Amino acid sequence: MENKIEDINEEVYLAKWLAGEISDADLQELISENDFTSFQKIRTGITIFEHLEAPLDFTFQKIQDKIKSTAETKPKARILNLYTKIALALAATILIFLSINTFFSDQYSIHQTGFGAQEVVILLDGSEVILNAKSELKYNKKTWDNNREVSLQGEAFFKVKKGSKFKVVTKNGEVAVLGTQFNVTSRTNFFEVICYSGKVKVVSKSKAFMLFPNQSIRNYDGKISEERAVILDKEPSWTVGESSFKSVALKQVILALEDQFNIQIDSKSIDDTVIFTGSFDNKDLTIALASVFKTVQLQYTLSNNKVTLSK
Amino acid sequence: MPQESTNICNPKVFETVFRTYAKEVKRFVFFKTRDMDAAEDIVQDVFVKLWGNCSQVAFHSVKGYLFTIANNLFLNTVVHKKVVEKHQQQFSKEETSESPEFILLEQEFLVKLETAISDLPQKQREVFLLSRIEQKKYKEISELLGISIKAVEKRMHSALLVLREKIGNV
Repeated sequence: MENKIEDINEEVYLAKWLAGEISDADLQELISENDFTSFQKIRTGITIFEHLEAPLDFTFQKIQDKIKSTAETKPKARILNLYTKIALALAATILIFLSINTFFSDQYSIHQTGFGAQEVVILLDGSEVILNAKSELKYNKKTWDNNREVSLQGEAFFKVKKGSKFKVVTKNGEVAVLGTQFNVTSRTNFFEVICYSGKVKVVSKSKAFMLFPNQSIRNYDGKISEERAVILDKEPSWTVGESSFKSVALKQVILALEDQFNIQIDSKSIDDTVIFTGSFDNKDLTIALASVFKTVQLQYTLSNNKVTLSK
Repeated sequence: MPQESTNICNPKVFETVFRTYAKEVKRFVFFKTRDMDAAEDIVQDVFVKLWGNCSQVAFHSVKGYLFTIANNLFLNTVVHKKVVEKHQQQFSKEETSESPEFILLEQEFLVKLETAISDLPQKQREVFLLSRIEQKKYKEISELLGISIKAVEKRMHSALLVLREKIGNV
């Protein structure tokens, strides 16, 4: 084996192989299996060496970014010079003035969640709303006492205090209740209401439906279907960090993944109308992708927050 | 008040500390996690923590502080991983087959490789580092050193042969 290597000392194929100019298979033709295994291992070692010795500017930049983003939530005490102080005082005065203004003029309360975030909103009557990722909840504070009405885009779980009529308005339909618990999802072309307790009245596409516990209604692309949903927990699984789906088009799951993780999923080369039943973890993207796409036997690659799907 | 030159809250001092110890910390964490991305994350978090506690850490003990935090963060990930794995086992029995490319390397091997790299003849070493650490193409190296591309490739080729010989059969 060693002789062989010496004989072809004038060659440059190892350099080309390391630069990716010739393939593993080509190299295997040229050298013994033993040598090939060794060189492969050396290449892996070199990659690690590269990473360990790589310039640190990128890491330092990342650290600066992280520090900045934590500083925004928890500001550090800093020493400011006199002019900055005066400027800040002025800014504060203007801000107070503006907020007093908005307090009197703006009667709407708006809650929005970003990618992967959740928010618990306590309404004026003590009713509780848990907003899922990328959702918006809006209500009029002034008329609240006489008119319990909120508008929703996205997904939310409602625990409504008993009292007068409570209404959820979405682009896809309305949900009216007295005192109950239910989950509403309203996205483009998809509307779903699941009743957890009490009694829920849903009006969608000018049709009215009455839902009792463990029942759900769904409007997907204009097709309405009613069914008994099997509910195992007291609350939807997404409130405890898992998104689950029962017989929905894969497209909806992809949208939910995008909202949850702030990623873009390219599904051009696959059929996204296949029906999916299952769930994914809301914290770990790698696990979430595997649990969705492995079950439907699709290949996926993730780079720079972009996922490309293929068969 | 600590002196400005040893006060870690001073951004310049902080950066110096980072430049001095980051590679060592990364190496330390990598050999524990064996996962470059995880190591990178931990290194970042270690220094974010250092900045957060900069007023409480004395300059002379900063190295120990960094390694302690790194170790703690690593242990946290282990605990987290165990939970995740336990959870995953319920769903998938079969593991994805790893590509044959991926061979888990022992620390011993890497240390050997590193020594071999630093012992390379100067000309080979120069080409090797320009190519692998500076990520330069053979063509760029040839322009930089004023030699032909073929010559660059020859040096690289020989460098690999030397490494192979030094490391022996693995």
